[in-house]
Amino acid sequence: MVFKPKFFKGKFRATIITVLLFLGLAGVCALRASGGPQSSAAQADQAKESWRKEFDSICAKTQDAMTFSQEELTDLIRRCDALLPQIEKLDETRKKVYVGRLRMCRGLYAYVLDAKKKEKK
Amino acid sequence: MPTSSMQKRKRRNERGLLLLVLASLAFLLGNIASAQIYLPKPPPEPSEYGKVILDNYSTAGPGPVVFDHWLHRSKFTCRVCHVDVGFAMQAKATGISAKTNREGFHCGACHDGKRVFEGKTIFAACSDAANDKQCDRCHSLGKKGARKYEYRTFTAKFPKGIYGVNWEVAEKSGVIKPIDFVEGLSVRKAPMRSREDFAVKAGYSWVHPIGFSHEKHSIWNGCELCHPEIFPTAQKGTIRFSMFSNIEGRDCGACHGKVAFPLNNCQSCHPNGPLWAPGTLPIGQSRKVR
Repeated sequence: MVFKPKFFKGKFRATIITVLLFLGLAGVCALRASGGPQSSAAQADQAKESWRKEFDSICAKTQDAMTFSQEELTDLIRRCDALLPQIEKLDETRKKVYVGRLRMCRGLYAYVLDAKKKEKK
Repeated sequence: MPTSSMQKRKRRNERGLLLLVLASLAFLLGNIASAQIYLPKPPPEPSEYGKVILDNYSTAGPGPVVFDHWLHRSKFTCRVCHVDVGFAMQAKATGISAKTNREGFHCGACHDGKRVFEGKTIFAACSDAANDKQCDRCHSLGKKGARKYEYRTFTAKFPKGIYGVNWEVAEKSGVIKPIDFVEGLSVRKAPMRSREDFAVKAGYSWVHPIGFSHEKHSIWNGCELCHPEIFPTAQKGTIRFSMFSNIEGRDCGACHGKVAFPLNNCQSCHPNGPLWAPGTLPIGQSRKVR
């Protein structure tokens, strides 16, 4: 014998479905607002701009270059070298601007590292 | 009574002395001539100083662009334009075009029709919607009255030095407040810690020592604009500074003599030197340097 409660029929069933739909919609909205899963296009955009985050992180430290240790400077130079191929894949104008800027950051770190090495000698 | 051999020797000595005097004169004149060649040329009028004509691509179209360095330096630091925006320090090396401006780079980094500066929206560079009059604001070579700002009226309230505006005093007194950040291009950094000023000992005994403000230069230029490209080594005594290299556009001459105060202004670097290089007054100014 199958249990079929009477209250799942008629008006009450329609109310339940409406409430469930409303809750579902609210849940989706909340998820989007909290920065939950994004569309694949947005994810692709984010990946595309990840080079910029790394670029900002590297080049935000230029004015403190003199305070870094030789190890820290070597690591920054390594990060510059690792980032370069990503920037070289950008469109022509962006590539030109950001390759130039990265070259300046790398050049400065190498310059300070060189000075520190000579100072130690 | 002198013998004939004594007379001959005397004549030979006289000839030798004459030759020596002539050789010394030639040496002296040669040195003076080379020194004259290496004196900085008289700079143009301050309103023309640092003016850049951009004609890589625009000659056939709307005509060459006239860029007034004095106008932009009153609003921005050297660093923000030459590092963040990416304007090269050498002529024709940036590759500015209408396309790059429309893409939001070079002039278009600020001139995008959206940014608001001093309460005004900055006009868009190379916009398709621009009319001839708007194009002429930048593409203004040979077009009278096309430019909006004129040096004399724009800098009327700025403190003046021996040659045009004294930009250092202008900034110190708050008349100008150069911006060091362009949203979307600049990287957020901690404020620059002031660098120590130092004196550069001249390599020659007859040259006055140089007082160099590292603090001022690093705040305006950042570190990476000068090192390592313009000054490639940090080891003291390895760069042989000279007025020759400066006049040829190297070392200090990368900026001074082109856009920053001219090399003729001796006292700005050599505090004990003459105020202005003799005989090199700006063209059209015989008595007083503004």
